[in-house]
Amino acid sequence: MALYPLPIAKYTVAALGVLFFLVLPLSLHEYYLSIANLVWISIIGALGLNILVGYTGQVSIGHGAFMSVGAYTAANFATRLDFPWPVNLLLGGLMAAAIGAIVGIPSLRIKGLYLAIATLAGQLIIEWTINHVTFISGGVQASIEVPRPQLGTVVLNTHREMYFFLLFFVVVAIVGTMNLMRSRVGRAFVAIRDQDIAAEIIGINIFRYKLLAFAISSFYAGVTGVLYTYYFGIANYEQFQIGVSIDYLAMIIIGGLGSVLGSIFGAAFVTLLPIGIRYGMEAVSGVLFSEATVHNLIPALRLTLFGALIIVFLVLEPEGLNRLWRNIRSYFRVWPFAY
Amino acid sequence: MLEALDLQFTILLLSNGVMIGLMYSLIALGFVLVYKATDAVNFAQGEFVMIAGFVAVGALTVAGIPLWLSILAALVAMVGFGFALERVMLRKLIGRPIIAVVMATIGLAAILRGLGPFGIFQGTRPLPLPLRDEPFILGPLFIPPIQLLGGIVSLVFLAGFGYFFLKSRKGVAMRAVADNQQVAMAMGIDVERYFGLAWAMTGVVSALGGVLWGNMLGVDVNLALVGFKVFPVVILGGLDSIPGAIIGGLIVGLVENLAAGYIDPYVGGGTKDFAPYVLMILALMIRPYGIFGKRIIERV
Amino acid sequence: MRKSLIALIAIVVAMAPVMPASAGHEIVIGLQCDRTGATQIVGTVLCPGFHDYIALVNSKGGVEGHKIKALEIDHEYKVPPGVEAYERHKKEGAVTMAIYGTPHIYALAAKLTEDRIPGTSPGFGSAAAADGIKYPYIFPIAATYWSQGAAAVDFVKKQLGGNLKGKKIAYLFFDNPAGREPIEVIEDIAAKEGFQLKTFAVPPPGVEMGAQVLDIAQRFRADFVIAHLFGGAPGVSIKEFKRVGYPLRKVVSFVWGAAEANIEAGGGFAAAEGYYAMQFAGVGKDYPVLNEIREMYKKQGKPEPKEMASTVFYNRGVLIAALHVEAIRNAVKDKKDGKITGEDAKKGFEKISNFTLGGLVPPLKVTPQDHEGGGLVQIWQVKGGKFEKVTDWYAAYQDVVAKHIKDHGAKK
Repeated sequence: MALYPLPIAKYTVAALGVLFFLVLPLSLHEYYLSIANLVWISIIGALGLNILVGYTGQVSIGHGAFMSVGAYTAANFATRLDFPWPVNLLLGGLMAAAIGAIVGIPSLRIKGLYLAIATLAGQLIIEWTINHVTFISGGVQASIEVPRPQLGTVVLNTHREMYFFLLFFVVVAIVGTMNLMRSRVGRAFVAIRDQDIAAEIIGINIFRYKLLAFAISSFYAGVTGVLYTYYFGIANYEQFQIGVSIDYLAMIIIGGLGSVLGSIFGAAFVTLLPIGIRYGMEAVSGVLFSEATVHNLIPALRLTLFGALIIVFLVLEPEGLNRLWRNIRSYFRVWPFAY
Repeated sequence: MLEALDLQFTILLLSNGVMIGLMYSLIALGFVLVYKATDAVNFAQGEFVMIAGFVAVGALTVAGIPLWLSILAALVAMVGFGFALERVMLRKLIGRPIIAVVMATIGLAAILRGLGPFGIFQGTRPLPLPLRDEPFILGPLFIPPIQLLGGIVSLVFLAGFGYFFLKSRKGVAMRAVADNQQVAMAMGIDVERYFGLAWAMTGVVSALGGVLWGNMLGVDVNLALVGFKVFPVVILGGLDSIPGAIIGGLIVGLVENLAAGYIDPYVGGGTKDFAPYVLMILALMIRPYGIFGKRIIERV
Repeated sequence: MRKSLIALIAIVVAMAPVMPASAGHEIVIGLQCDRTGATQIVGTVLCPGFHDYIALVNSKGGVEGHKIKALEIDHEYKVPPGVEAYERHKKEGAVTMAIYGTPHIYALAAKLTEDRIPGTSPGFGSAAAADGIKYPYIFPIAATYWSQGAAAVDFVKKQLGGNLKGKKIAYLFFDNPAGREPIEVIEDIAAKEGFQLKTFAVPPPGVEMGAQVLDIAQRFRADFVIAHLFGGAPGVSIKEFKRVGYPLRKVVSFVWGAAEANIEAGGGFAAAEGYYAMQFAGVGKDYPVLNEIREMYKKQGKPEPKEMASTVFYNRGVLIAALHVEAIRNAVKDKKDGKITGEDAKKGFEKISNFTLGGLVPPLKVTPQDHEGGGLVQIWQVKGGKFEKVTDWYAAYQDVVAKHIKDHGAKK
């Protein structure tokens, strides 16, 4: 396997690189970059969750809590010990990995729905702990302000600067995930997902690899949390509650389980969908309804459509956007022939 | 702190725990029925309760029909909703991994909440029942009428569904479906019909839950939050056990009340909703199939 | 395959950003709202109030001839959409931001300051943000939780005959940061006044609090209860107090347990007789500005909007809008062409003084140092099927609150 199996792939990667590293950040308005930044951060979180859910076949409804673990770890090191951001990022990820492995312990005995609910419990217990232990949360307000990240002497505070900062980690996360899945560890994950008993018989240490999957997945979540913290300038656990865990699950299901591209599509889709729906509604609904109705209609329709799309994907395209994308690609590859 | 262990207060806490626990059981029963019969999990249980409450309150205040008819309307609406949902959404997900059904019901929950800003789904309305607010006083016990009613409804349903599953022909067929869909089909059982029936039964339980909890909380979107109470209840009792739903509810109710009465003062925070989850994790490690659950959890 | 392709193309086309026509000389206010999330009960009423006031201002020719545009974006009480909403508002040229939600004001605090756009957090957010020097672009513009706590204790003191020595006060609170925030202030006042304070936490989701209420009534036997609950929890507390036979005229609630919706959830006005509710905006329909709004609707041949019936939240929406417009009005006085910046609007907020809108708004005095404007509240009581005013605008123990603001600022 090489990075470029076909010459066209080489050009595609190069073109994407130019597009995302040069054309978009230098041409778009800051507003669009701020949206891109939200997408970048969620891609990292979605990749992490997909490693656990899509590749290893475990379930987690506690991804948001692992983000808050990363966020508070980094924020505490940043404010108490004045550590620079790269150290905090790493420490936040590692702490989340450790907590994630602990929350993953029940996975050794239970799976499926029971595991889902156990991780839900993990989410609630982590939230409770942060809320009540002021040593972690920095006070009853449970929010810790952090300074903007610095590169040398440049303080990164505009969305354009943050764009490059975050995109760098997205690339690292994507390459890291792809490599992980090509390694012994990644193959062990897939083996556990496909048939855990068989995996054990061929000599995979289920105990170790399941916890490793939780740890790696939570590491990504922790990093996501740290990046949110630096992006917002504050760590606050109310930004990482149960709804966030569910949003990330929606991302990987809509995008496609067990696929890197799917995680990217899903993260982008879930982040952009509400924004897109709002723009669409703003353009057309003013003609049909009164202003007061529109104000109620837009959010209601957005939430309803979001729910409906999850269901539609589950029913019609279980493999998500990734599969849809492959279908489209193969459709055009052989066009105008049917197959 | 022994003087804090005031006997009267403890008895009140315990009775409160039993009563509220049975109210939780009612919600959990809806969850268990579906899981038992179809192996599907309903993360929108709280939203089911919410729309049942809205239908009842809408019929009562907007359409102005009498209370018993409003409750009947909620029952009919929820049964229809259960059937329709199975038909449109869940039938297509049969045989798919558990996470697909979980996400589908989460999607459903989003749709139902998205209806919030419209029509009868907007605002908060009381759902008055012809019960007084003042408690019955039985010796040292204070029993709120609404919780007494909730407890009775829970127990009646427990008995009813228990009888249904054990004795009636339909109930036996339903257990067969739950046990093994293919064998059941081979025996000539119309599997899909029974799936629909299970969801309709959940609709019945949700409708009553909506009326009772709607009376307790008032009817608005926050009514859906009672869904969060389901998980520790069903895990402790066993996902597929009807008596388990009752026992699980009682345990959660008691643990919550004792935690609030005797742990909160020492930690200075609310342990009430947190304690059942801790207990649940312990239970999962020791007895992953719950107190009454079937022992088919795959060990790994 | 073709079908899904067509569907996909349809989605892409539908989602293609369509830019609204540019705003001309309009002055833009960024309004965040929650009509579908955890606090939709508030948002679906508060935000229409905001819009109605803006429409009223515009129907009278705007501010010095400049129209105001309130651009609403719903964020479902989630933070990333809130951040997106803020950036969109910024792009549309908003000079003030009506932020909605405590996590949101935290997430946007740094940005507001960097972008020099004033953001408001009336009745929620961080109490420490009242310090205009440390947080130059955040404006609580209503009593913070610290001021609410202080005012609540003062009210209890008056109810209990002017002396709290040896009395027992229970603080029943929602167990989240917002609920815990006032504890430190109330504790300080407890030490000062010599009353016994005990806290009772109601963890989210707060659908049941039998044990806590039982404890308050039977074990602790509180002389008075200060309740600080959110969402459905205030309604539950009303029911539970009734059940254990604790009189509701010994309960005073913070501002988010004080609306008609909470009373309805608690079983209706008849059931909640006696309950005291703290307000940062006037309650009821009897204010000149509300009559003007009704008049405006009448002229358009429309009935008054149904949201007006829920006066507590609606009036708060009007109050927030009015304070934003007042800040803009102050800013436009110096820049007649209407091309004001966020910095101008900030100075405009800091000039707000004695702007009462016929009693709906407290007589705030916002200064560059004090962005809270005095921490004024009123107490209303459920009486005879409606809210009745018990106290006029007042603030209490402002020395204690000021000390906490100062301590917090020093820590930073």
